[in-house]
Amino acid sequence: MRPQSEFEQEVAQLIVDALNLEDIGAEDIDPEDALFGDGLGLDSIDALELALAISQKYSVQLKADDANVQEVFGSLGSLSAYIQENAA
Amino acid sequence: MNASYPLTSRRPDDVIACLDGAEVRVDEFLGQVQALAADLPDHRYVINLAGSRYTFLLGFCAAIVAGQCTLLPPNRQQATVQGIRDEFADSYVFDNAALPRSAPAADVPEIPADQLVAMVFTSGSTGESTAHRKYWHTLQAGAVANRQCYGIGDERIYMLATVPPQHNWGLETSVMLPLVADIAVSGETPLFPQDIADALNRLPEPRALVSSPIHLDALLQSGIGGIRIARILSATAPMSAQLARQLESRFGSRVNEVFGCTEAGSLASRATASESLWHIAAPFNFDVRDNKVRISAEHLPEPVELNDIVELVGDSAFRWLGRDQDMINIAGKRGSLAHLNHRLTRIPGVLDGVIFLPGEDSKRLAALVVAPGLEPSAILDALREAIDPAFLPRPLYLVPMLPRQETGKLARKMVLDLFETRRRLSEDDGEAADNSA
Repeated sequence: MRPQSEFEQEVAQLIVDALNLEDIGAEDIDPEDALFGDGLGLDSIDALELALAISQKYSVQLKADDANVQEVFGSLGSLSAYIQENAA
Repeated sequence: MNASYPLTSRRPDDVIACLDGAEVRVDEFLGQVQALAADLPDHRYVINLAGSRYTFLLGFCAAIVAGQCTLLPPNRQQATVQGIRDEFADSYVFDNAALPRSAPAADVPEIPADQLVAMVFTSGSTGESTAHRKYWHTLQAGAVANRQCYGIGDERIYMLATVPPQHNWGLETSVMLPLVADIAVSGETPLFPQDIADALNRLPEPRALVSSPIHLDALLQSGIGGIRIARILSATAPMSAQLARQLESRFGSRVNEVFGCTEAGSLASRATASESLWHIAAPFNFDVRDNKVRISAEHLPEPVELNDIVELVGDSAFRWLGRDQDMINIAGKRGSLAHLNHRLTRIPGVLDGVIFLPGEDSKRLAALVVAPGLEPSAILDALREAIDPAFLPRPLYLVPMLPRQETGKLARKMVLDLFETRRRLSEDDGEAADNSA
């Protein structure tokens, strides 16, 4: 697993806090691993909770072409990059 | 019951769908259904996974015309779909197929009333699926009755749904209703608030939004406004009167909450902002005896027993008093707490434990576990192998013992008190707890 960047560490902590994943340490989330489906096993309710937490903290509204959360969130790395690109 | 019912009662020049701002007429739709039906692989069962709602609608209707039964899995996970394929060997997957080019057709196929057209699968607490059979008469008569249940009049409505068409709520509203009422349905299934707003803005007015309290709550909390949504229909989980009122004032809507189940479909509705009583839809008879509710109707093949406790008020309304304490509904999946607890306490090293719903409108389960020497992550790993991930308790707290009474019973109040104490401890001491885990 490649080390998390500073911003990825921050987003990882947000994920753990927003979704009550206390059995998973924020530092253990692999930036390249899938967050949904087989990765952390998150589902669309988690996606909405996370989208809300992200909009509140970074003022970024997540968008997707469809409801396939796997593609929207991809990994911690891709989610962090998306937030950075779209943050006001 | 008639021997057959037409695939649709809509007129050929009515609009049945809206795709990227373009309207699809009923005769264009029927032409595509006929062309696709002639092209479908020759199997008895089809698993319709189409992501576009219009492609789903086409595939669903083409399968009906071709005499095939559509299987609707509870989710799109590969293991789920494979499980259904293993059980129904004579099946194939219909996905995002290219839409056939075809001439409009005004002829409406007649479908035998007793044709088995769909099987809707619901997943239980272990992830295993239960099939619910849907005959054409049941779906068709149900759709006609739902017009009244949802308060849909003769005026055209442009409908957007956030729930997938494979789920019974999505099937009844966004697939069956446009076949019998003047509804043009959007091909999209947005999830995130901004996507819902964008998709609504692409539709003409008046608009209807078919959704669930979880999606609607997220839409409200996102702060998005400035869109008029004439009608909002919500089901799959209880909605608070406050959420209904906020939605009505933000979007200028009339909010109707629908009560139903996969076995029987939509059964009752209410204007949640101002009403607590549920109005029973015309075709259904509620028989309440010994706290059990049995539903019957001419279009249902057999009576359906509910896991809900209701009190009848007059002939056509009821007050909802609660669910059978054991049955829970998480992320649209039904489970039994007794069964989940059994799985939990069978894990080696777990001495005692309880899985419960911490609040009336909680989205997730929680657990208190007595397991000296085990880490919460190990317990969750073991559970993950035994139950559907939607039912994984979050949070799961280790405790020295459960507050059992002398009889061995656990009072809900005591469990919630201990949970609250443990939760505060974890919040005050979050970092330390993380490091020790």
